[in-house]
Amino acid sequence: MDPDSRSRDPDSRSRDPDSRSWDWDRPQCRAQMDEIFFRQHDYIPAGSPEHADFWAFFERFQRFKMKKDVSGCGGSRKEERDEGKESRKSSAAKVDIGLPQEYDARYRINVSVCTRDVEERLGRSEQGGRRSSAGPGSQEVTDCRLALLHFLDFSQRQSFGKLAKLRREQKNLPIFQYRDRIVDLVRRHPVVVVAGDTGCGKSTQVPQYLLDAGFSHIACTQPRRIACISLAKRVTFESLNQYGSKVGYQIRFETTRTAATKLLFVTEGLLLRQIQQDGALAQYQVVIVDEVHERHLHCDFLLGVLRSLLLSRPALRLILMSATINIKLFSSYFNNAPVLQVPGRLFPIQVIYQPIPPEEQVSRSEKMDPRPYLRVLQGIDQRYPPEERGDLLIFLSGVAEISTIQEACQVYATHTRRWIVLPLHSTLSLAQQDKVFDIAPPSVRKCIISTNIAETSVTIDGVRFVVDSGKVKEMSFDPKAKMQRLQEFWISRASSEQRKGRAGRTGPGVCYRLYAESDYDAFAPYPVPEIHRVALDSLILQMKSMSLGDPLSFAFIDPPPADRIQTAVTYLKEQGALDRHSELTSIGSLLAQLPVDVVIGKMLVLGSLFNLVEPVLTVAAALSVQSPFLRSAQHNPDCTTARQPLHSSQGDPFTLLNTFNAWVEVKGERGGGSRKWCRRRGLEEQRLYEMVNLRKQFKDLLKSHSLLESEFSAPSGGHRSQRRERLTERRKLHQLKRDHEQQEGSRRKVLRLEEGQEGESSSGSDGEETGRGKKDKDGSGQNMDIQEVKFKLRHNVSELQEAASSSQDLSSRQHSLLKLLLCRGLYPQLALPDEHNSTRKDTEQVFHTKNKHGVVIHPTSVFASDPEVLHVPEDETGHTAPDRRDSSRHQLLAFVTLLETNKPYLSNCVRVPALQALLLVANSVDSNSDCTRLVVDGWLELELRDAEGALKVLSTALTLRTDWERLLLAQLGKGTTGGLGGPGVSRRDMEKLSEGLVRFLLYTEVSYSLRRLTAFQTQNLYIGPQPEQDPSQTQTANLNPLFPGVEAKPDPVKGGLRVTGFFTYNCLADSRDLYSECLRTFWTCPNCDLYMPLTPLERMQHEASCRPAAELQQEGEPENGKASSSSASSLTRVYHCDVCDEDLSLTSTEILKHKRQHMYSAK
Amino acid sequence: MEQTTQDYEPPQKIFTCNLCGLATPFTYYGQKPPNTRAIVLLEECFVTRDPFNPDKEKFLVLGSNCSLCSNTVCVGADCSLFYTKRFCMPCVNKHLDQFPHQIQTELAKKKQSSKAAVP
Ligand SMILES: [Zn+2]
Ligand SMILES: [Zn+2]
Repeated sequence: MDPDSRSRDPDSRSRDPDSRSWDWDRPQCRAQMDEIFFRQHDYIPAGSPEHADFWAFFERFQRFKMKKDVSGCGGSRKEERDEGKESRKSSAAKVDIGLPQEYDARYRINVSVCTRDVEERLGRSEQGGRRSSAGPGSQEVTDCRLALLHFLDFSQRQSFGKLAKLRREQKNLPIFQYRDRIVDLVRRHPVVVVAGDTGCGKSTQVPQYLLDAGFSHIACTQPRRIACISLAKRVTFESLNQYGSKVGYQIRFETTRTAATKLLFVTEGLLLRQIQQDGALAQYQVVIVDEVHERHLHCDFLLGVLRSLLLSRPALRLILMSATINIKLFSSYFNNAPVLQVPGRLFPIQVIYQPIPPEEQVSRSEKMDPRPYLRVLQGIDQRYPPEERGDLLIFLSGVAEISTIQEACQVYATHTRRWIVLPLHSTLSLAQQDKVFDIAPPSVRKCIISTNIAETSVTIDGVRFVVDSGKVKEMSFDPKAKMQRLQEFWISRASSEQRKGRAGRTGPGVCYRLYAESDYDAFAPYPVPEIHRVALDSLILQMKSMSLGDPLSFAFIDPPPADRIQTAVTYLKEQGALDRHSELTSIGSLLAQLPVDVVIGKMLVLGSLFNLVEPVLTVAAALSVQSPFLRSAQHNPDCTTARQPLHSSQGDPFTLLNTFNAWVEVKGERGGGSRKWCRRRGLEEQRLYEMVNLRKQFKDLLKSHSLLESEFSAPSGGHRSQRRERLTERRKLHQLKRDHEQQEGSRRKVLRLEEGQEGESSSGSDGEETGRGKKDKDGSGQNMDIQEVKFKLRHNVSELQEAASSSQDLSSRQHSLLKLLLCRGLYPQLALPDEHNSTRKDTEQVFHTKNKHGVVIHPTSVFASDPEVLHVPEDETGHTAPDRRDSSRHQLLAFVTLLETNKPYLSNCVRVPALQALLLVANSVDSNSDCTRLVVDGWLELELRDAEGALKVLSTALTLRTDWERLLLAQLGKGTTGGLGGPGVSRRDMEKLSEGLVRFLLYTEVSYSLRRLTAFQTQNLYIGPQPEQDPSQTQTANLNPLFPGVEAKPDPVKGGLRVTGFFTYNCLADSRDLYSECLRTFWTCPNCDLYMPLTPLERMQHEASCRPAAELQQEGEPENGKASSSSASSLTRVYHCDVCDEDLSLTSTEILKHKRQHMYSAK
Repeated sequence: MEQTTQDYEPPQKIFTCNLCGLATPFTYYGQKPPNTRAIVLLEECFVTRDPFNPDKEKFLVLGSNCSLCSNTVCVGADCSLFYTKRFCMPCVNKHLDQFPHQIQTELAKKKQSSKAAVP
């Protein structure tokens, strides 16, 4: 086609011969038009996206005009005009509304563009010289203006159409009718309960109603992070503030909150943290607690806190939003708050009870029988024509059940070609999870097999059929065994109804219940609230830090049993977070601020003391997220081989550390190529992104508590050009992120029939993406991984790489220190290998914890595939007795979780040298008189062959622990006083301590046996309290020279002498020789000239206070100087014996001995 | 998000279509919305920032008053029509014969299709 005729009105040619050479396709020509219509300050400036849109529109518009002209509308135009005249004549009697005679589409546009000034200016300048032959004639300008008018009109229509659609949808929501009532209730009552079922629109609309009514400073809590993000997005969109920040969200890693934010979606946990910092919650005027019926731990607690907060802030407005479940409970908890019940928008659902026949029911060990589920699929195929759309959602209890049923359904689907089978559970990769929202091709249904995640958390539209197994797996905590348990239960009637409701969201539906109606009637009415199921440690810790008083008397909506609270308090005491009086310790108050498990928090604090921050940060982050190792890849030999170099025989935290470091290295080198690297190793990259984010957050937390120096490193690359480059790159990344966000939501893909047949490892993001490609204007965006973009925006890769390489090159000494830190963090979560493990098969290795015997290692752990590293080396064991194995190589496992599914499993384990680790971290170490027999925490017994060695080990450990504790307190003090008051920890002190710890860990060569005490032995462990306690003892005890500040006195329960908080001397009942504590043997002090006979305790006391002379001079610390007198006499004190009635100068051991003499002589 | 005690913000100015009830805040009324440069509206309009455009300077016309009956109507095709002036739908129907043939047939077509859509 001739470009001239294509692009121009044919009439214009004869009128304006100059324009013959005008070509709309030529950039120069367009640029001339841009000079008139799209100047830099115009409404649409050249170079803007709209400008590009305009020229695209222009081409379509010209083509459209051409077509109309060619099809010969000219003739009919005249007719129309005539007709119009005629009709106007007939209505002449009526008012003339003054419309023009001739129809012109331009009259329908309510916009005009005035460019006369520009045109005139251009025209004038051209008048003088010869007009350029390619310049625009008046016709071209007119054409362009007309197109621009149509373009503006078109854009207006498009945007208004969106707005109208939005308002229509809002109006159609069931809650819309209650809009004014809700606002009115909130104005008049401090607490209002809004109850409505899924689909009534409460979560998106109620916050907007309040905003519209003039409330601001609104917080709306959600149980899930993902809901915060999506609700904030939706409400932002609906409230037409899509590009402002009036509506925002704040979750653990990210926030969109600004000073302008009026409505903030937050997680329940995060709001609690805000209350922790701002007790009156003065930053909010309104708090909406959504999904209260889900009864999450945080939510129940939050309600309790808000309830008491309302007393001090009567102006605060509280709105509880719930499904129509147990509404009375919430209302009465808040002084009979008014309830507004909104009907849901549910279509009728037919319920069919199809109990599973006995021969198809499963016993515990067997796989599920898929037949009942297949029958439903077949039934649907028979009864409903494929053109009638509607997907199927199957609720099962767990992942194993899902894969069994998925397998069977897939066979059926492949055969019939009428189904796409998709699993849905939280351990799937996100890409895989996302597929359930995609659309099935015509005549094919999705069959989504899900855990209860689809009951409330994930809402999938288009479901018409629901199959309910009636089962759920729930995590519960067994306080006796100190163990998490994942158990299968019948669901509640409320859950059952919730599942059913999923079939009626878009039209009438059917729900198949694979149980009898009588079963249904026997179900509990509501699910068990989380607060009754889980360990309460974190909750109690948080309550303590919020000064909420005795947890036992806190007015929970549904208080947990008292013994559960007690268990948690005991645990926190064991962890050192609470002291003997159940008050927060300094480490405890810090732990309460960290949004992580107590054990992880402890690791972080401990790591900050030594030069091991980088690896500890990584390990702590890795242990706080789901494992990046995909289970499905375990059976893939290629993945196993590729993973091999990442494995560490030290333990799973080290494997995670290696993995993270290797990943960071790959990211530094290949950027987005890390995706492929992960896929080859069967790694879920999302988890690594989570780790890197969490790690950063931990680092910031440590910095904010002054536990970590904030580095003042200059921005990478001092050159201005480099900085500019980085800035340009960041800008580009931001643009990519925005582009991605704009595309989101309009990206639903059409699934392929083969979708379900692919292995999980091949999933990733290579799925077909129709609809997306079209939208992407430049192809570069497609290759860019959005996670990679966010990663680059958030983190400094080279800095990360540095951290990774520094923790990669750990020396074996640093390794053992790191292990000790992990162990101390995880303590008391320790497991002992069974003594017969070396004679058992790899798969039958057994372990024991203090409270649970016979646990096994989770198959994902490195020790499951390599258990030998835990065995005591055969050649080193000496058999002094048939049941006793002596070695210096006994090991223990410190573990992160003990979870019982079909068996009790230990996960995330690290191995540590038993004797050393126990002496350095255990809360209770008891000894006999010569310290050759030690009992740790009342369950582990260590017998040392050599008394001399035993004393030395114990003595060293006591000294190291005192130093460690002192430095740790100094470090924590630095944190609490903001780095001003406390002296902090000197680098030399820290290095000396770590040197000592490492030497102790690596070079302690003492042979000992290690076993767990029998129940009988535990009962008769201690000599017990002595009948005649001398009251004067307490006075003299203050002068404990061994550990200044710690009282050494007879232990009231165990007997013996309590030397430090954790060590009780000579309290074990079956000490072979009761008098050996008085036995003196000659001993030479390595540090001073002392050579004299001493009792074991005297010797330890001397060692604790006597330091090498050189060291003393360097330190010059007064308290050490005082105690360093190298004579045993300095350890004596004045003791008044009531029996003898005289003052004696005795050592603490002698005092004990003296008392005993009276005791025995009395008998 | 600092809070001053007990402040209810002054509610925004709301544009409401008297025919379909569409209600949404507007920021400007007149013929020359801010930052429009060469662009002029041919009627007095209720205008807001285009919420669907990332560019903050883009405007969106919500509606205006009918040139005959002064009723406030939105620019939606079901509520009003612009043809040199704004006409609300009732007024269009009243004076349908004065509108050009193209518009008459268009409206007739739309009526039919909307009838068909209702089951
Ligand atoms: Zn309207
Ligand atoms: Zn009118």
